[in-house]
Amino acid sequence: MATTASISISSDITENVPFSVNASMTMYQAGTTLDLEETTGLAQRTFSGNTTQVVLIDVSANPAITAGAGGHKVYIRNTGTDKTKGFKIFLADATDDVEEIGTLYGQDWMLMPWLASDANEDIMVQPSSAEKMTIEYAVFHQ
Amino acid sequence: MATTTATLTLSSDMLSSPISISASSTLMKAGITEGLELIEMGRGTISEADASKTAEFGLGTALGVDKAAKLFLVNKATDPTYYIDVDIHDTNIGRLYAGDWMFIPWGINDVASEIVIEAEPAGATCPYEFALFQEPQTLVDHS
Repeated sequence: MATTASISISSDITENVPFSVNASMTMYQAGTTLDLEETTGLAQRTFSGNTTQVVLIDVSANPAITAGAGGHKVYIRNTGTDKTKGFKIFLADATDDVEEIGTLYGQDWMLMPWLASDANEDIMVQPSSAEKMTIEYAVFHQ
Repeated sequence: MATTTATLTLSSDMLSSPISISASSTLMKAGITEGLELIEMGRGTISEADASKTAEFGLGTALGVDKAAKLFLVNKATDPTYYIDVDIHDTNIGRLYAGDWMFIPWGINDVASEIVIEAEPAGATCPYEFALFQEPQTLVDHS
């Protein structure tokens, strides 16, 4: 049951030295070469009339995740095409202190590890516009 | 205009109906359709003996308020038990185990938004590579 992810980044910011990076990973359980075995599946959520911060991924709703720090991974993408609208992404820690990660504008995506070892460590989002905005996400976990 | 494109291909056969994700984004300045203009890339090594360290790239300041940035970070260690703990300021995002990479938007909007990394467990040494793409921060007058 393999889950693999590859990234390819190319840039011409430095005109005379074109930049590219390619990396691939197989998602393993923490400290092993055993594949991750569980997933929330790919989910989608649409916001409308809301610009407040809300929980997108609730650790408490996924008891298997909180069993301990692991090799969990989270994928999130703003499915919109409007680069003027974005979702701010936040992460809470075990003390419920909330930190902003950054903003996903139209078509932007992210893939990050997720500690999720405590029930407070939810992932929150905040749409920048009250107009209809959609986000898709998936968690791959132990 | 500079063009930076980040493409993801993800597949998983955990489910009876396999998950297949293809995503691509051209990285723009915050809220507009102009490409990012700054790039910073490099390689470093962190060992468990170093304890937690503020990463040497993209130090957050108030000059980064409302500016867009994207960060790529990969743990190049080969021992599967070695991992890099990644924090934003004092919040632990998660662990990058050997070979794992992450790509995130990064709100470098104040001094409390720095990336902090730490190699674990005892005896671990983790080479890492990074690439940071961002729009120019607000310039200040010479004093």
